Amino acid sequence: MSVLSHSRRGPARVRYNIIIYALLILASIILGFPLIFALSLALQGPVPNPSLLPRDLTQLDWGVFLQVFEQQPQIIRWIFNSFVVASGVTLGVLFTSSLMAYALSYLKFPGKTLLLFFALGSLMVPFEATLIPNYLLVARLRWSDSFQGLILPFVASGFGVFLLRQYFLTLPRDLYDAALVDGCTRLRYLWSILLPLSRPALATLAVYTFLTTWNQFYWPLLVTNSTEWRTTQVGITVFRNFEFAVFNIQMAATLIVMLPTLLLLILGQRQLVSGLTAGALKG
Amino acid sequence: MFASPAIIIFSIFTYLPFFHAIFLSLNVTNNQGEAARFNGLGYYARVLGLDGTGRTDYLQSILTSFQFALLVVPPVILVALSLALLATAQVRGIQVFRTIFTSSIAISLASAGVIWALIYSPSTKATTWLVELLNLGTPGLLSSDATALPAVAVMTIWSGIGFNFIITLSGLQAIPVDLYESAAIDGANRIQSFRFITLPMLSPTLLFLFVINTIGSLQAFTQFFLLLPDRTPTVYVYETFLAFWGDNRYGLASAMSIILFVILLILTSIQYGVLNRRVNYS
Repeated sequence: MSVLSHSRRGPARVRYNIIIYALLILASIILGFPLIFALSLALQGPVPNPSLLPRDLTQLDWGVFLQVFEQQPQIIRWIFNSFVVASGVTLGVLFTSSLMAYALSYLKFPGKTLLLFFALGSLMVPFEATLIPNYLLVARLRWSDSFQGLILPFVASGFGVFLLRQYFLTLPRDLYDAALVDGCTRLRYLWSILLPLSRPALATLAVYTFLTTWNQFYWPLLVTNSTEWRTTQVGITVFRNFEFAVFNIQMAATLIVMLPTLLLLILGQRQLVSGLTAGALKG
Repeated sequence: MFASPAIIIFSIFTYLPFFHAIFLSLNVTNNQGEAARFNGLGYYARVLGLDGTGRTDYLQSILTSFQFALLVVPPVILVALSLALLATAQVRGIQVFRTIFTSSIAISLASAGVIWALIYSPSTKATTWLVELLNLGTPGLLSSDATALPAVAVMTIWSGIGFNFIITLSGLQAIPVDLYESAAIDGANRIQSFRFITLPMLSPTLLFLFVINTIGSLQAFTQFFLLLPDRTPTVYVYETFLAFWGDNRYGLASAMSIILFVILLILTSIQYGVLNRRVNYS
């Protein structure tokens, strides 16, 4: 795995390490620049022409993170909305995907292959190609500004069905046959045996779905009209349109809504990475 | 039937809307999005510049989209590859740096767009030096024809580094160590092992990233909405949004989205070809 680790000893090894660390730190600073910039602007107070880095490090305005909630109390509602929507979609995807993947991997019925193509085919239809009719449907049902409008279109995932089916197929089939002989019902087997055994795959799907839903922008932009129904992603962009818009509040709000997904990355990195690697299949 | 919840959702929110979009694309629609008059392939001809009026604005926006993809895809893969090579170094604390390099996957395009809008804004002076260096004659990078698209591309590259890094790193880690060991015994230097082991073994991953990133770049919407809302000509997906959301021309916008579907379908089939080759390699 190591392209850069030809073995060395003594002073050569030290020199090599110094160069590697220097490069790693340099790359981190360049990549982290936008976040450092955002934090710097947030902490400089409501000035019209902030400088790149704070001039006086003893005068940092940490209170800005509280001011965000005073100036735009709706942000609490936006975070709540995003949590409800991302959790709702995640639970929905776990529910529909595990049921369908179960049918596709364990049960025998006519048209099974066709059904698999039905699920996988949904991955070939890009979001943009269904956007307009879906918007018209939601508008006609008067689901604009509602949780069902934000959640329901996304509670089935071809990727989820595929991922869980592949995982279910790796588990021993004998277990299923034995359980049925012992009088276990099919639903009971799914709930009490298969799903607990599939925790790694479910966690991967959950973390991936939560992250992508939390970060959605286009759809919430279309189906939310009133300020209180905005999700965080749409919400942070409206700060730009305020007349009293000041950079510090805007950057502080952006940093606040970034926290949940950054935490998710740090805590669930393994799940997220395997989800993204597999999710890349869907294009 | 266990599959029915998923089937119902796929039908209502994926397949029916898709066929509905095809239907709408063949009709002139009213303001409620109902078909008012059959228009045949009129909108397709209009978008592809074949309607005889000589208007090629939409065709131009498709080209702009590909131009944008070209500005994003090779650099993002190159940067990610360099970072991934760096991150294979066996030094203490490497995991921290790997997390930092991955972090942009957790930052949404909307957050990135809001931050980069200020990086490019003349009032923060973060990029004024570049505007002066290039002698643009405009207040900011986003207001000049020459730099607007590259500026959005830089933001998109930053946003995509995390994903490309982590995929490239797992690709590198999948290369068997004994290949490098036997090459070292045979006297290969580091550049030779990169050229003759790493690159060929990694090429399926890189090809895969190339297609995935191209598809993603062609679908780019959020960053154009936030950074270049008033600019024309713009990229194809943003033009589609303007036709749909701005002008309520549901039929025209549907035709545009079906054309996008065909373009992406071609790219996706290339992707599956690449994936099959990937399977053969391993």
